[in-house]
Amino acid sequence: MRSKMAILLVGLLTLGFLTAAQAAAETSLVVAVDTPPRMMNPHGDDSDAGLSFMANFFDGLLQRKGPDGKLVPALAERWEHPDLLTWRFYLRKGVTFHNGNPFNAEDVKFSFERLSNPEVSEFLNTGKSIDSITIIDDYTVEIKTKTPIPWFANNLHQIFIMDKESTEQRDPGDVMIHPIGTGAYKLVEWVKGSYVRMEANENYWEGAPAIKKVEVRPITESSTRFAALVSGQADIMTGVPVELFEKVKANPKVEVISRPARRSIFLALGNKPGDPWADIRVRKAMYMAINEDEIIEKVMRGHATPAAQIPDPPTIGYNPDIKRLPYDPEGARKLLKEAGYENGFEITLTGPNDRYVQDEKIAEAVAKYLAKVGIKVKLDVKPKSIFFPEVSEGSLQFYLIGWFDGTFDMGRTYFKLAHTRDDAKGYGGLNGTSYSDPKLDQMLEATADMVDPAQRKKALEELNKYAMEEKIVWIPLHYQEDLYAMQKDKGIVFQPRPDRWMVYKEIGVK
Amino acid sequence: MTTYILRRLIQGVVVLLAVSMICFIIFRYLGDPVLTMAGKYATQQEIEEVRRAFGLDQPTHVQYGRFIWNALHGNFGKSYVSRVPALGLILERFPATFELAFTAMLIALTLGVGLGVLVSLNPSSWPSRLVMAGSLGGISIPTFLTGVLLIMIFGVYMGILPPFGRGETVQIGFWRTGLLTADGLKHLVLPATTLAMYQLAVLLRLTRAGMREVLAEEYIKTAWAKGLPPGKVIVKHALRNVLIPVVTMAGLQFGELIAFSIVTETIFQWPGMGNLLLQSIYETDQPVIVTYIMLAAFLIITINMVVDILYAVLNPKIRYD
Repeated sequence: MRSKMAILLVGLLTLGFLTAAQAAAETSLVVAVDTPPRMMNPHGDDSDAGLSFMANFFDGLLQRKGPDGKLVPALAERWEHPDLLTWRFYLRKGVTFHNGNPFNAEDVKFSFERLSNPEVSEFLNTGKSIDSITIIDDYTVEIKTKTPIPWFANNLHQIFIMDKESTEQRDPGDVMIHPIGTGAYKLVEWVKGSYVRMEANENYWEGAPAIKKVEVRPITESSTRFAALVSGQADIMTGVPVELFEKVKANPKVEVISRPARRSIFLALGNKPGDPWADIRVRKAMYMAINEDEIIEKVMRGHATPAAQIPDPPTIGYNPDIKRLPYDPEGARKLLKEAGYENGFEITLTGPNDRYVQDEKIAEAVAKYLAKVGIKVKLDVKPKSIFFPEVSEGSLQFYLIGWFDGTFDMGRTYFKLAHTRDDAKGYGGLNGTSYSDPKLDQMLEATADMVDPAQRKKALEELNKYAMEEKIVWIPLHYQEDLYAMQKDKGIVFQPRPDRWMVYKEIGVK
Repeated sequence: MTTYILRRLIQGVVVLLAVSMICFIIFRYLGDPVLTMAGKYATQQEIEEVRRAFGLDQPTHVQYGRFIWNALHGNFGKSYVSRVPALGLILERFPATFELAFTAMLIALTLGVGLGVLVSLNPSSWPSRLVMAGSLGGISIPTFLTGVLLIMIFGVYMGILPPFGRGETVQIGFWRTGLLTADGLKHLVLPATTLAMYQLAVLLRLTRAGMREVLAEEYIKTAWAKGLPPGKVIVKHALRNVLIPVVTMAGLQFGELIAFSIVTETIFQWPGMGNLLLQSIYETDQPVIVTYIMLAAFLIITINMVVDILYAVLNPKIRYD
């Protein structure tokens, strides 16, 4: 019995060496990602993790390319914006779907109409903002929105076009698991929980991609994902955890890539009249009491950059003149004394513990800094599935959250996070403290139909400065850093995108 | 006997109803699935529309009634996250979990019973003491630690065994198996060992205790005195009598391994049901969670009942009235 076991074991080990020796072909890639796909329906998941898969099987009318996320044409060759409500798209000719069906205006109309069906879409907001979709000819489509949406085109890299005929004919369950798009890759096999295999679409309208075969392995557990890379089972790994970063870097076989992330982490603070923190002096004191440099060094292990505002530099509305208040606990105490809170007060800091890099640790650090100036912070950290519903209810006092806007336009973010809550108009849906400032609302509403880029940029920058410096709507902390690692000698040319999507047609081989 | 089985069946149904009701109420408070389903930028009105579309605006008891009614017709609802039937989603993962649990049980049974017998024969020798000390470790070291350690040693430093996933699999009908390819077997070694560790230690200690008790019995002394070969005495006369509690234990453990191998599956990224359950909890995918727990309860109740009935079959002295 035992000797048989031994023989079996030796046999297994030899097999192991044999298979490991078969080097992968150069044009194939195994990628270990941190989040599994939820479905293969391009409109059913609006998270970047989900869109990251879809961007390989589908194309939008427009796309964002490369490390700077520039908006360029995709299925639409060009577009016009003749008046505030109208967007006209001239479609690319000669494009076919993976099943051979030609792409035309019918597919665009079908896909945009599908957005407002709650059974299959998480882009309800985009779908419902559309008033009408008119087919002018086979390759021209005109979309009219109900209200002016200056950032409408900026969002179109996320809205993927499906094949009308096959989507209508297939069983709804099949549509959820088999993507038929125009994208650079076709799905070969999706084994849930194990892998997604795709192969190059040789007829792709941009030309066939360099990497011919891709296997994406979602591994949620970060240490296992790290083991997959180090053991050579994966070529690229996304989401290197900061606590493993030094270890990954020390490995001679592995190359680490980091890039500033678009997402900023910040603290939202309410201003209900009567609360101590409605007083601007108290808000300033809380801002000045937090030692952000130390948070970056100790909690983020250096993988973050300080933020003075919510949007990141490429976003319209980012204002380079806004500076962080200095770390000054003495000054903070003085301000609290002036405001009449020499003995401090109590406040509850809510936050997620499974959403952002080191989120819980950051919240703990903030609580400690505030305790040093006499503010008693009650920590209330919980899973994101419980935290986010609380944010959308709007009854929190003080919470940690992260944000970035896929449209590269600050307008939509401000309406969602800072405008006074107004369910009828759909404003302030994620204004979790029910913060309210009439002047801010007024400035924001004035930008709603501002389309001229220069004018819009100026207005949003002013608004941003007002919110961050005069009102301290939020206490900004830092921008995260996206960390990737890959095998050094595989000859992979990989530049991460700002939105963290893994778009394999952008990856090359040396 | 028939009355007994009937009574157990009724009890089982009551337990299932209770489990489903508790699940339903608890997961009300787990978070609001509608928020994700409506999308990041949805307005309050759009969120309410989604709530209505999925019938989540109705009072809990109405939703529960509808769930039970549909479940009786074999329909456990659609996953909120992937929007396909929940039961299919879980059953698709069943082969992976079953193969992992089965292999782990096989390892635990053979090594546990084998070592248990060896240890009981020579309890004071130093290898026996070492094995017993090791078994204490098996019971007390948590699964996630064993798993991570094994990955670090065999997957990363030595690089001889793959640290995650199922490897190459073959689809036979509805069953996707990893047992037929070398790569699949290789991938099974680490997670199965991790999962087996605790069960192995328990079975080992159970076997040893039973063996030591039986070996002191008069009839074993008689057997030795008759000059029977050691193999016959140990296996036929002693071990056989020890096996009844061991097999019972193993049966119960097997049900638990299938239902709750969540930790091991997560560490090794094993595409089984436990992995799906954890992911569903993170994403507030209520239909999948409730269906899974119902299924697990059903499985454990069934195994319990079979074991109870087997008792009566194995030992006619046991009567159920």
